[in-house]
Order: sequence, then C-alpha cells, then structure tokens
Amino acid sequence: MTTVDERARELTPPSTPALRLRGVSKRYGPVVASDNVDLDVNHGEIHGLLGENGAGKSTLMKILLGLVQRDSGTIMRGDTPVAVRDPQDAVALGIGMVHQHFSLIDALTVWENVILGDTGRIDRAAACRQVEEVSRRYGLPIDPTARVERLSAGERQRVELIKCLRRDPSVLILDEPTSVLTQAESAELFTVLRHVVRAENRAVILISHKLAEITAATDRVTVLRKGKVVFHSPTGDTTPPELARWMVGRDVSLRAEGAALGMLPVDGAAPSGDPPAQTTAESPSGAEAEAVTPAETTAEPAAGAGSGIAPALRLRDLTVVIDGVTVLSELSLDVAPGEIVGLYGVEGNGQSTLGDLLSGLVLPSSGTVELTGRPVELERPGALHRAGLGIIPEDRHSSGVVLDMSVAENLVMKSIGDVSGRGFVSRRKMHAVARRLAAEFNIVAPSLDAPVRSLSGGNQQRVVLARELSAGPSVLVAAQPTHGLDVGAIEDMYQRLRDAASEGVAVLLISTELEEVMALASRIAVICSGRITGVLPAAEATAERLGMLVGGVAA
Amino acid sequence: MTASSPGAPSGTGRRLLGLLTPRPSGWQTPAATAVAVVAALALSSALITLTGGSPSASVQALFEGSMADWTAWTSTLLYTAPLLLVAVGACVSARSGSFNIGQEGQVLIGALAAAWVGLRLAINGPALLVIMLLAAALAAGAWAGLSSLMHRLRGVNVVVSTMLMTFVAQQVVAYAVNMPWLLQESRVGNAPVSPQSNPLPPSGLLGSFGEYPGLQINGGLILAVAAAVLAAVAITRTPWGFRLTMLGRNPLAAKHAGVRVNALGGLALAISGALAGLAGAVLLASPVGVNRLQPGMAMNIGWDGLLVALVARNRPLAAMPVALLFGVLRSGGGFLAATGVPSFLVDVVKALLVLAFVAPPVVVALARRRRSGGRPAGARREAAPAAEEAIA
Repeated sequence: MTTVDERARELTPPSTPALRLRGVSKRYGPVVASDNVDLDVNHGEIHGLLGENGAGKSTLMKILLGLVQRDSGTIMRGDTPVAVRDPQDAVALGIGMVHQHFSLIDALTVWENVILGDTGRIDRAAACRQVEEVSRRYGLPIDPTARVERLSAGERQRVELIKCLRRDPSVLILDEPTSVLTQAESAELFTVLRHVVRAENRAVILISHKLAEITAATDRVTVLRKGKVVFHSPTGDTTPPELARWMVGRDVSLRAEGAALGMLPVDGAAPSGDPPAQTTAESPSGAEAEAVTPAETTAEPAAGAGSGIAPALRLRDLTVVIDGVTVLSELSLDVAPGEIVGLYGVEGNGQSTLGDLLSGLVLPSSGTVELTGRPVELERPGALHRAGLGIIPEDRHSSGVVLDMSVAENLVMKSIGDVSGRGFVSRRKMHAVARRLAAEFNIVAPSLDAPVRSLSGGNQQRVVLARELSAGPSVLVAAQPTHGLDVGAIEDMYQRLRDAASEGVAVLLISTELEEVMALASRIAVICSGRITGVLPAAEATAERLGMLVGGVAA
Repeated sequence: MTASSPGAPSGTGRRLLGLLTPRPSGWQTPAATAVAVVAALALSSALITLTGGSPSASVQALFEGSMADWTAWTSTLLYTAPLLLVAVGACVSARSGSFNIGQEGQVLIGALAAAWVGLRLAINGPALLVIMLLAAALAAGAWAGLSSLMHRLRGVNVVVSTMLMTFVAQQVVAYAVNMPWLLQESRVGNAPVSPQSNPLPPSGLLGSFGEYPGLQINGGLILAVAAAVLAAVAITRTPWGFRLTMLGRNPLAAKHAGVRVNALGGLALAISGALAGLAGAVLLASPVGVNRLQPGMAMNIGWDGLLVALVARNRPLAAMPVALLFGVLRSGGGFLAATGVPSFLVDVVKALLVLAFVAPPVVVALARRRRSGGRPAGARREAAPAAEEAIA
C-alpha cells in the first residue's frame, strides 16, 4: 500500500502532533455543535474524547473526515494547514475511521467488504492475501471468505478495523467502538490499539462515554460538552470521578431543586462557572472529589420514594439479543404507583430497545414484565395495553401514530372495539370520544378528521398521550417524550406526566436529557450497555455520581 | 422522512403505497388528472393518425363495439365482472400494505379449481355452481396465501413471489389440460385432442338476466358488484377494516396497537387471491369464453384488474366505474381492428389512460414535498431533532 504516510511518520518526531485543530466551529441553525474547539492528537498516543449525547463528538469527527464542512477554524497536519473538503481528502491525509454503526454489507464476504470502494480489477486472491496479512500483523483473526452476516459483533468490528488499517492511516478514529462488544472483545480491541500506537507510532482518537475505557486505554483525554472543550489532561493525571463531573457538568442538585419548585430547566442557559477551554486538571465548581462506592449506587429497586408499596411495573431480568448483540442484559427495574422513575443514560445503551419491548414490538429472550403483580404474556398482541400499560413511544411516527389516519382514528386506535357496535365502527361514538379527549388534552387540530400528519409535533404527541391516558393505565412509559417539541409543549408534557403520577399512575420516564430526568423523576435509574448500573434518589444525584454510572463505572 | 420506520418490510414500497392511496387533497389532483387525461387522449389520436387510422373512426368503432346496442353492452359487462373482482381483491391487499400482483395466475388457479369441480365431481343442480365458485376462491386464496407463508418463513418479498407464482400457475394449468387423467378433453373417435378441458355441464354455467338481443346481466357481474360493495363497507366501516388500514399505513403502530399483523396481512393477501380466483371461475362459467379450461383463458384479466385498482386508488367503489371503462376498452378494442387500426393500439391507449390517472396524484404529492423543503408537509417540526442528531 501507500508508503508516503509511512515515510512521513518515520520522519516526524513523536512529539509533533499528528493532527492539530485550532478554533474549529460548526453551527446547525441555532445549535452550536462545535464551539471553537482546539485539539492536539499526537503520534504514538491514544487520545480519548469523552462527552455525553450532543456534546459534539461526532460533529468534530465528521469535520475531520470531510463529511461536514466547518464554519471556521484550522486543521493542521504537523504544522501545515490542510483542507478537508470531502472524505477523499481525509483518506489522502491518512485519516481513517471505524464508525459506531457498522458500515458492512451483510450479504458480502469479508474480503469483498474490505475492498469495497477500491477501483480497478477485482483480484480475489490478492484481496484475501491482504486481509490475512493485515489480520496477522495486528492479531485480528478472521476468515476472509466468511460471509459478514454470519459474523459476531466482535468479528464485524475486526473487519471494520482491517478495512481501515489496510489503508495504513496515520490517524485512526474509533467512535464508541465497544458499544456492541463483549468484555473480552473490548479487551482484545484495546490490545490491538496499543500495538497500533506503540509499535507503529500512529495516532488514535477513541470516542467514548465509558469512563473505564477512557481511563484504562487512553494517554490523553479531552472532555467535550455542548460543543466546547471543557477539560483536557493527560489521562494519568485525572480520575474517573473528575472526568464524570466534567462530562455531566451541570450542577444537578440545583436542577432538582428547581424542578421541585416547578421551575423548568431553561434550554440554552449556560451552566454557571464553566471553566475556559484547555484548563488542565482543575477541579470544576462545587463538586467535591469523593469516590462513589458500588454499594451506594446499586440501590435496591423500589427502595426510594415508593418503598412499602407493591410496584405497578416490575421488569425482571430482561435480556434482549438482536442480531447476536446483547442489547439489554438482565435488566431489572421497579416503578411504584405514583412515582416517576427516570431511566437515564447515553443514547444507544438499550433504552430504545426497552421502549420497543414495552411497545410490544420486541420480545425478550428471557425475563419478565409484571404489571400490578401479574406477569404479561408478551407474545400476545396488545397484551401490554390490556394489562394496563400506556406508552409514549420514542419515535411517535414509527409506532405512536398513523400519520395518514385522522386525529379521531388515532385517538381510538387501541380501543376500536369500544366505539363499535354490531360489527361496525360508530363514527358518532368515535367522534364523541375524540372530541372529549381533544378538549381535555388541548389538542389543536384543523378538524378531528384531519390526518395526524397535518398536526404540529406537540399536538401529535398530545394525541398519543391522550390515547394512552384515556385507557386508564396503571403504568405510563414515556420514552423521550419531549423530543423535538417546543418549549410550551414540553411544559405541557411535564405537567401531564406529573399529574398522571399524582393520580397514582406509575411513570417510567426514559430519557437521555438529564434536565428532563432531574425535573421530573424522584428516582433515577442509570442504564449503560443494556444494564442498570445504579438507582439513586434524585436528591442524591450529583454530576459525579451520575457521570460515573453513565460511564459504566460502579456497575 | 427523517423518522422512517426501521422495521417496515419495504420502505420504498410503503412510500409508493403512501403516494398511491387516497388522501384528502385539494383541487390540484383532480385538475392535474383532467389535464393528463386530455393529454393522453390527444396523444392516442396522434398515434392513431400516425399509424394511418382515423381518430374519429376509431372512437366510433370503440363505441360500436362496447356501447352502441344491448349486445355490445352485454359484452362490455361480461368483461367488467372479472376485472372488477380482481380489482376489489387488489384493493384489499394493497390496503393492508402487501402488494399482490399475481392475480393473472390466481385467476387461472381459480378457473382450474372450478373446472375440476365442474367436470370431475358428480354434483347436480345449483349446488354445483356454488361449490365451483367456493373451490375457485379457496384454491386461489390458498395460492396467494403461499406467498404470505413464504414471506413469513423465509422473508421472500411478496411482490416478487406473487408475480413469479403466476408463471407457475400457467404451467400447472397447461399440465392439467394436457393430462387425460386430469382435465384434458375426452377423445372422440380419431379426432385430435386439444390442450383444453371438456365444456362445463349446463348446471355449472352462470346464468344471466335478460334475453338476447336485449341487455343481459350475467351472474358474474352481480357477484362482482356485491363483492365491491361488501369490501367497501368492510374496509371503511368495520373494526376489521380499521385494523387493515392501520396495518397498511403503519405496520409498527398497528403491531403496537395489538393488531395481529402477520395473520391480518396473510388474510388480506388470501382474500385478494380468492377474489381473483372467483374472477377465474366467472371467466370459465360465463359466456365471455367457451366454458372450457384453456391455458390462455385469463386473457390478461389479472393484470388489467390490477390496473383498475391502481386507477381507482384502492377504493373498491371507485373500481366499479373504472372496471366498466376497461370493459369498454376491451370489448370495443376487438371492434377497432376492423377499422384498420392495429388492435394493440388499444393497449397503448389503455396504458396512457392508466398513466393519466395514476401519475397526477404522485406528481402533486412530490411537488408539495419539494415546496415544503424536501420533506413531507408533516415532517417540518422534525428539523429540531434532526439537528440534534447531527451533533450527537
């Protein structure tokens, strides 16, 4: 393969950064995804990039790969500013990336996937030889002629790595590489990465929200929050609790108080006392550096607000395996009547699957769901609904509403039998129910016969909420209920959820927004890699403790 | 759409369905349709002129062959009945979100089953006809149901499997009429034997109301109209139809709401097959043909019926006038050849008309989508989460 990069690397002393970013900014409309970011990535080092959802990690990497154009700022290879206008530029610069979601084609074999995108004649033997060579060099055993669909998640990851390493990148970027890997597979991956930086003097950027990974595998760490670099340090000089605080950042207890007073978190208000970028190892405001012991955090379910009352919703050892990946792993959680439990975590840690499971769209491979003490036969269509579970699904367009059916029809979707008589749907009864619900839930629609598609997001969400609450559920699951809603609609949704809880409904709020969880929940369960890493009362939730749990520490 | 359902079996197909199914729309669609029909007619007359015919003479011939007198009307209605049956079935399956396009084969299977019952079972009186029709519906329903089964067990695409099963059905019928022990006609003396069955006994024929030379309404048409009305009521007025529509519009939401998606989808496919099978039985038992099972007896009725449903945009009641129009084109088309116009031009005219009816709603919807900035009207509010995703 190319030797230009190799020579360049040999000539470059290890101290010179492989890649330098200066003042890189990118806005999407009103949202600043990247805010004046400075970043140095050195040869021979693994550089950890830590941050929550929406911290701007992916945007930054997309800029480096030429997938997104920066608004301002400089990217330098060594000391020379370079242009990264498209992915070809990035390849020419020796920047390679292993994406979080595999970009392999299932129906093709390993070698076919590896050479995908090459030009010229297809030489099967040469391609296989190359795959074998790369796999031997890095200790990534793989059969080049195997079909990708038969491979495990770990093996697919290997193929992605081989695909990337074959191009001999000088900077290798890995986006949440362990999210689908087992413990052993992750360990193996980090061994390979060590080799890549130590023996070959490449630079690696490791994007992750898992603290254990960052502290164990990286040499330097940069924490991003809301597009800004908020912390930067050699990994050896910092601790997981400190990183957790920087990652979560906000003074969470203050938020909880605000929520208790009925104040809503204001979006865009910068957390007070944000230290300037590139500060090194300086303790952030307010939080003290105490270590969280596992005993404290893995609190008993229902030991919080709802203790003494039988839980209305009881999830027991739920395990879900999709395409060989364990998405939920023995997840257990109780929600008592009248309480709001927030399930918080970084996106992609199994929350969506839990939502799908509670929507009846996914079946667990083991474990049970109990509602008011009775196990639900999940394989029966509509069983959860009949057992008294209402749900606001995460993606209302995919399973919450039928966009091309009318408001009235959507409102009676789950209770069509109740508005029918003698085998026919009664339009009169359906409209009566719809009128009542529309009034009760302030649904603004051109007419009850208008398709739900014509409604605003907030009103669509009210349709879902009205339908679910009208069935008189004992449990209400709200998955990302305010995603994409405006401030007024968010406020309305929060009030409805609080009202439901005060009427004795057990509310499970699944959210990736910490503000939302802090504003509503009395107990917070944190999910990481498909398991509950801890449950703690909202009053005891500090940035540090949440950050640790979100990062999978103290599991 | 940014929030397309990930689990939906075929995104493109569903989007296509979304564009083709009725949706409250303004004046644009009817106006565009009118323009398109005029354009199609203009193009048709241009084609007729170019091939050396006269447009006015052609229209005259079409009219004479299909509507000029009661005999012509009778022939038109004989074609209308099977077309309508096929179309109603296509409406039901398309409403459920699975595209059955194998009606041509299902028609043959229906005819085969009816012929076997009519010729091989010793049943007398009116019961024979009833059992023939039932057998046709059951056999073709099961035939279409196979595609649903293939989809569930092995993930075979329903569109592809229903279509390919048509060719299997053609071979099965060809086999049946070539095998003396199955359905081939009896040898009389030393006369050569053709690949066709014996004619049906009189008790296996569909009767008509009315006498030649007056208007004759065949029993098949009554059956077809009844099926259309029944399907329309079932789809728009019953909880079953509500679930069917929900399944077609958003299978995930339907599943979430407790609909047994696999069972209902399979049933819809089987119903559409059963109605196509009935069309086959009607072709066999009504005076439109020779009352014998013949390999070519489906006469593209299956494909045309599908077009009827397409033009009617999956509404069974709207399919009635459309089926009548197609019946007119069929019976008039035969007459047209007499005027020197190549008869295949009728197919071209038919195709142009189908395009004129089908294209405008799609074009209007696409234009609307473009105007709202590349997103369908309802997806505007998603701009915000989309931006968030970009950062994450």
